[in-house]
Amino acid sequence: MARPRKVFYRRRKVCKFCADKIDYVDFKDVKLLQQFIPERSKILPRRISGTCARHQRLLQQAIKRARHLALIPFTTD
Amino acid sequence: MRTYELVFVVDPRVSDEDVVAMTQEYKQMITAGGSQISKEESWGRRKLAYPIAKLNEGKYVLLCIESEGGKSSLPEVEHRMRQNDKILRYLTVRTDEDLKRAASRHPKTAGRAGESPGGPGGPGGVGGDTAAGPATAGEV
Repeated sequence: MARPRKVFYRRRKVCKFCADKIDYVDFKDVKLLQQFIPERSKILPRRISGTCARHQRLLQQAIKRARHLALIPFTTD
Repeated sequence: MRTYELVFVVDPRVSDEDVVAMTQEYKQMITAGGSQISKEESWGRRKLAYPIAKLNEGKYVLLCIESEGGKSSLPEVEHRMRQNDKILRYLTVRTDEDLKRAASRHPKTAGRAGESPGGPGGPGGVGGDTAAGPATAGEV
């Protein structure tokens, strides 16, 4: 009477930067950075985006630089 | 050799000619300090992501600088920018080390990162922003 086990398919997340072979995250590339800042303008965590550690680090730096120049917001109110 | 990227945001009430004149002045300071300007871009009037000094727009100028050895006049340039209240923001980033590191990761695609840091998105990333336009539109 064993109930059929529910199988979870979890799509494996891939680091976008590794996939696209982007090694230098440019703070001027607003379009790229915006993919990693959801509505509240927070930096999308690695656990959601699947970005690898080194690229998340570069991304974080780039986002902070872009914020300073008002290219992307700190918050949305 | 060291490379730097210097971006500054000018008060939008300053006329385009004055922005050019200001840029010229800074460029002169940089070249006088023994560095070269490898690229200059004017992004024109852009909407700011948040108001600075109660302004909602700004004029962006990007300078790419190449400097030989340790000497450069960038500290003086930054000092001048800090004192100029027409400059809302400025940012200098040293790029040679990061680009070199990037190039050693993927030797094949290294050229892409080096020659157009603006990437496919380009600096005028925000859609619907007329001022953003093609990045080099306002080239001086």
